[in-house]
Amino acid sequence: MNTSYRPLLKILLAVLFVLVTAPNLHAGKRVGVIMTGDIPYYGAIHEAFRSELEKRFAGDEKIEIVLQRPFPDSISWSNAARKLIAFDVDLIVTYGAPATHAVIHEKSRIPLVYTGFYEPGEVALDSKYVTGCGFKVPLSSLLRYFKRLKTVNTLGIIFSSLEEDSVRQYETMARLAGQQDIIVEKINIRSQADLDKLRSIKSDAVFITGSSLAHLWLDDIVAILEKDQVPVADIFPDNDEVGVLMALYQPSHAQGEIAAEMAWQILSGTKPADLATHTFRDTELVFNLIEAKRLGLNFPIQLLIEATRVIE
Amino acid sequence: MRQAPLLIRRFMRYPFTCLLICLVTVAAALPVFAFEQPDELLIGIEPEHNIFDQMQRYRYLADYLSDQLDIKVKLTIMSRYGEVIKRFKTLRLHGAFLTPYTATMGIKELELEPIVNPVNLLGESKSQGYIFVRKDSNIRGMKDMMGGSIVFVDPASMEGYLFPLSFLQQHGVKDINTYFSRYFFSGSHASAVFAVLDGRADIGSAKSTTYNQLVQNDPSIGHELEILAQSPKVPEVTLCIKTEIAQELRERLADVLLHMDQTPDGKKVLQQFKALGFVKSSKQDFTIIEKMAQEALGSLTVHGK
Repeated sequence: MNTSYRPLLKILLAVLFVLVTAPNLHAGKRVGVIMTGDIPYYGAIHEAFRSELEKRFAGDEKIEIVLQRPFPDSISWSNAARKLIAFDVDLIVTYGAPATHAVIHEKSRIPLVYTGFYEPGEVALDSKYVTGCGFKVPLSSLLRYFKRLKTVNTLGIIFSSLEEDSVRQYETMARLAGQQDIIVEKINIRSQADLDKLRSIKSDAVFITGSSLAHLWLDDIVAILEKDQVPVADIFPDNDEVGVLMALYQPSHAQGEIAAEMAWQILSGTKPADLATHTFRDTELVFNLIEAKRLGLNFPIQLLIEATRVIE
Repeated sequence: MRQAPLLIRRFMRYPFTCLLICLVTVAAALPVFAFEQPDELLIGIEPEHNIFDQMQRYRYLADYLSDQLDIKVKLTIMSRYGEVIKRFKTLRLHGAFLTPYTATMGIKELELEPIVNPVNLLGESKSQGYIFVRKDSNIRGMKDMMGGSIVFVDPASMEGYLFPLSFLQQHGVKDINTYFSRYFFSGSHASAVFAVLDGRADIGSAKSTTYNQLVQNDPSIGHELEILAQSPKVPEVTLCIKTEIAQELRERLADVLLHMDQTPDGKKVLQQFKALGFVKSSKQDFTIIEKMAQEALGSLTVHGK
């Protein structure tokens, strides 16, 4: 090779190197998100998360969010977790307990921020790569409000044995009902076919746990129960107003914002173990008077004044 | 020597007439101090959590008093908790059943006389303020309260506002607006308890009698809440009467109420009124509230007048 071409070749190689490496230098961060199904509550958390994260990184690095929406079952959660690990994202964010457990199960070193997790303090999440925030709703309040509305001898509890948080909520509510001599009717939803169980229940009222599966078919559940004049209480907001009589829930935006703050700190170099977890306990109470009318129930004024919002 | 004008000289001849005219003039100029003997007694009531139930209970009592006193006793709800001073004047009330803070204001500003206090079904005529949290809230003291939300009852409530405010100030809280993320008034003691139970507020304040009654009806409430501070005990409700009302009528009113647990008719009405009886009240019971208001607010009637 002619030696006069050598400097030119060096320059060419240098330019090629810069061109190849440049996109990586400016690629920013990739955040993988697992949001189970199409649950409006998680959707609202995600909106708040995305908006806050964009604010945090405005004019700074580019943030790419890789969103996974697995169907609420074990295989789908695992697949979603594995995909994000394979993508080699910089951070994984999960909504709800099952998705969180699925990621932890993969034993990846990718930092994980969970949110929308029911009572995270009650569960051992043993990993130095994990932090996050969750919420707690006093289930006893729903029972108390039901009893102020009508006689409750039997309480139906809709949960999913596939979802760890939903099982915990079932256990808590069953214990509370037991303390008040209320019989519990266990309604385990593992597939759509299980909705048929609702057609033969004998419950005076039904409580829906924060199960993603149950909320996937919330309108079907409410429609079936409405035929038998059975009121429904929920710990997720009834955003579509499908007919939940009362909802006591933690407002989602705060969880999304704190999750974004945690994500920003981790992506900026903070270790997840150095970020304290947080459990939100503030709630909103919504009564649906339209549904009460359909069910032939009268809300006493002393009860109505407790609501932060009344649908009428 | 100059002589007085003719008219005056003539006048001076009749000293008795002169004296009489002067006396009549002075007497007419002085305010009337005569005691009032009204045709009917109009008694105000401060609204509680369940106003319908409350009106019904008090109606039984009013009917009984009308019979016993031979004078019509009428009731009226004072439109808003705490407007006692204003309402006393605009509604031309003769008396009212008042909660501790408003009774203190009434005694001080309207010179009302505290007559009797009802004794509730738990045998209590006094109540105290509680500051409480959910047991699972991780709030165990003042430091943990910082940044949380707090629910008060009403600016005119001793147990549900004055006491917690005074307690917070004693523990170094200068401004509740900055110390807490949010504060609000629930409007009733029961609502304040439910707000904390539901998680709509982290910290709550309410009167002990309502709190204890709720716990008695539903023991799970007692298992879920923890009381962090308690105020001194003060009369829960006091019948206060205007001192312009004839003393004889005031005494008869007190006598009927204090002895109604000794007659079959009286006992029946007490049952409907949901009380065991009445005990005598005194102005000394309220000095602690006045002191608390001076310390917390700098004046007795800054709020709720």
